[in-house]
Amino acid sequence: MNEIAIIIETVIKAVVVLAVVAGMAAFATFIERKVLAYMQRRLGPMNVGPHGILQLAADGIKLFTKEDIIPQNAVKPIFKIAPVIAPATAFTAMAAIPFFPEFTVFGYTVTPIISDINVGVLFIMGVASVGMYAPLLAGMSSTNKWALLGAARTVIALLSFEVVSGLALLAPLMLIGSLSLIDINDFQNGGFSSWLVWQQPLAFLLFAIAGFAETNRTPFDLIEYEAEIVSGYATDYSGMRWGLFFIGEYANMITVAFLVSIIFLGGYNPFWIIPGAIMILIKISAFIFLFLWVRAAWPHVRPDQMMWLCWKVLMPLALVNILITGIVLI
Amino acid sequence: MKKGDNFISKVKEKITVHNIERQTEDQVTITVDRNDLPEAVRMLYYDMGGWLSSMIPNDERQLNGNYALYYVLSMEGGKMTIEDELPQEQKCWITVKTYIPANDPTFPSVTCKVPAAVWYEREAYDMFGLTAVGLPDPRRLVVSDDWPKDLFPLKKDAMDYRHRPDPVDHRDEPDYKFLEPNGSGVVDVPLGPLHITSDEPGHFRLYCDGDTIIDADFRLFYQHRGMEKLAENRMNYDQMGYLAERVCGICGYAHAIGCIEAAEKAVGIEVPLRAQAMRVICLEIERLHSHLLNIGLACEVTGNVNAFMHIFRIREFTMELAQLVTGGRKTYGNVVMGGLRRDMSGTEIKKSLELLVTIEKQLIEVWDAVMDDKAQINRWKGVGILDRQVARDFSPVGPNMRGSGFGRDSRHDHPYDFFNQLEFNIAVEHGCDVYSRESVRYQELLESISIIRQCFEMMPGGQTIIKPQTMIKPGAYAIGNDEAPRGENIHWIMHGNAQKVYRWRCRAATYNNWPSLRYQFRGNTIADAALIVCSLDPCYSCTERVTIVDINSKKSKVLTHKDLKRYSQTLKNHPLKNM
Repeated sequence: MNEIAIIIETVIKAVVVLAVVAGMAAFATFIERKVLAYMQRRLGPMNVGPHGILQLAADGIKLFTKEDIIPQNAVKPIFKIAPVIAPATAFTAMAAIPFFPEFTVFGYTVTPIISDINVGVLFIMGVASVGMYAPLLAGMSSTNKWALLGAARTVIALLSFEVVSGLALLAPLMLIGSLSLIDINDFQNGGFSSWLVWQQPLAFLLFAIAGFAETNRTPFDLIEYEAEIVSGYATDYSGMRWGLFFIGEYANMITVAFLVSIIFLGGYNPFWIIPGAIMILIKISAFIFLFLWVRAAWPHVRPDQMMWLCWKVLMPLALVNILITGIVLI
Repeated sequence: MKKGDNFISKVKEKITVHNIERQTEDQVTITVDRNDLPEAVRMLYYDMGGWLSSMIPNDERQLNGNYALYYVLSMEGGKMTIEDELPQEQKCWITVKTYIPANDPTFPSVTCKVPAAVWYEREAYDMFGLTAVGLPDPRRLVVSDDWPKDLFPLKKDAMDYRHRPDPVDHRDEPDYKFLEPNGSGVVDVPLGPLHITSDEPGHFRLYCDGDTIIDADFRLFYQHRGMEKLAENRMNYDQMGYLAERVCGICGYAHAIGCIEAAEKAVGIEVPLRAQAMRVICLEIERLHSHLLNIGLACEVTGNVNAFMHIFRIREFTMELAQLVTGGRKTYGNVVMGGLRRDMSGTEIKKSLELLVTIEKQLIEVWDAVMDDKAQINRWKGVGILDRQVARDFSPVGPNMRGSGFGRDSRHDHPYDFFNQLEFNIAVEHGCDVYSRESVRYQELLESISIIRQCFEMMPGGQTIIKPQTMIKPGAYAIGNDEAPRGENIHWIMHGNAQKVYRWRCRAATYNNWPSLRYQFRGNTIADAALIVCSLDPCYSCTERVTIVDINSKKSKVLTHKDLKRYSQTLKNHPLKNM
């Protein structure tokens, strides 16, 4: 009986997470266009609905009804399945994220995490890196030179920055001694001053930068930057297949925002009079706004400049950070 | 001793010069035998510090039974070092002319000795069937790939519309032959014509080893509009200026000035000083909005859309300035033989001066902000190097050239109109890269503002137009030059009879910049390809509003931006419904 309840509960949670995050991802695209527009003295979408809010619906209809073009020379099975990998891995990664503090509905305690595994961080990092196969396979199967270039860039960019993000996370994990995100969150329940960002500012910075790179955000979105390689791996995709990549990318952004908030910014612990649930929403919104702000403020970096930054600056810094943390702990 | 005589006497030492004709004070044409042509051009180019500015093939069979070639050399010094520049009073144009008999349309290629001639000689074959013997790259350049083999459009007896060749089905169109490097692992990456950042009618093939471009080739002229032919057949001088404007969507005024001044110079018309000053103002306004566009695009191509948008804010002011000077948001429709169509009022001048202050202030502000960004500068520095020797060999023009440390500026070397009376500096940078070019553009913006201000302050009184009473002289020809935003524009006009042009040759600035682009690509990554093309300054055209005049009812209506926007969204109530 108990087992069935757990299964039902998990399924409901999964559906809710899927629906809410997909909705948030769609809404994030609208917010992104608006924020960018205001930073660039434009208005952004204005014509569909009040302040263009219904642009979202229009885009959705467009994506769903657009013709699904598959190039003649593409490797068809792989070309078709590659877009599914992106959102699939992005949403799978969310299984281990505690979104909110525990709450009680009708006397039933709900833990808003699909599966509380004790190696949560490891699981998320691992699944997120599987997501790399989406652009890689897409680029290689579509027999388009720009797509191939995009795929090649993806592999370099993601592989390199995974090293940085992994090493950056290692230092705070050494402090906490657990890989479960709930433990990490509870570690910081001592109020504002117990946030890990104060103890590990460098790790926070490195992880944030790596987060930008792993979610293909400007200034590191070189795997699909249009001025250079048209649309990268997604050049030949159209309609909903392209839309899947898009949802995957935004879901990844939300995952990274949650990770940063939970690991470094005190997670869903209540703050002053603000309850924890509101607090974490504020944090992830602020971090997503940072994504957009950075996009408006910085030009792109070239692949070689990005590699230089990764291997010659960020990785040594991450190692030094671990070393210092280790010495302090001893 | 007149300008250019010292060079001609040096040429005479080695080569027989059949004839010397002087068109204007600083334009001389020497006629040499066709076998002496390469050596004559080489001597003037390398030994005496000339640059190949244009080459005009001409079908003169009606006049003297021959074809003729005119190699226009701008004598200004090699400029490889600071001392290597001719004194101002010696700078002139020397045109080397040669006749080619109609029954043997070949000539020895100059390209072997002066590489800058390569495109001109390829075009000479396309348009006239004149074969340059020994030309290293004899592929066709201008005409489309399916063009018939024996049809040379600019010959006077070609293009009889009764014998128009049938179009070739697109499946049977031959492919253009690109120069490809051999070797395994060379990936050829296409860029354009519909690449997302260079949606211009130009196709580039980048040959890459991994991410590095090892060589490049390009196919342009997808939209050859046959304007030179059109001018010969149908246009009179009143219409020529307007036709020349349509060469370019953004620096059209420079073309109109070049074309009209060539025609004026050929018959010795002096334009009133006020018109001269206003011509200079318009050219500089054009430079303002064109350079702003290019700096903006160079930011945008590297992903700095914010900078692009803010630079466009400033550009809007320059459009307003153009409106005060010419009445239109662009500088078009103002140039006629003998002066300008529209004069400026005192209040307009006052308003313009106020606008200039705003532009200057905001420009400095935005540029400082862009320069504050290390990431932006890193994207520009060291990219798209134009080697100095390559530049010397291929005669590029404009900011492309000045970014490589050559102080070539038509306003300074061959001052036209009002420029003798103005003070300005030539912006020169020595980095040879995209950063230097953009930096040159920024400095030129400030110079242009200062030039416009000087013109307004010294604005001479009087008329802006005279009636060109002088009879048009058939056979008279001259060069018209000006410094367009992209570099020196050269127009060459030979007058014909019946108020028609016998031959009009328009050489836009970018024509001279293309051949060396190949060298600029080499060694860079694919990521920078679009940026390098952009740093040469491609162009776009835009129209904000339209005035429609119905000739029958004599009614006119101005369609505003609002009307057009509304109509484009609702498709109801056509704005011209009630006309």
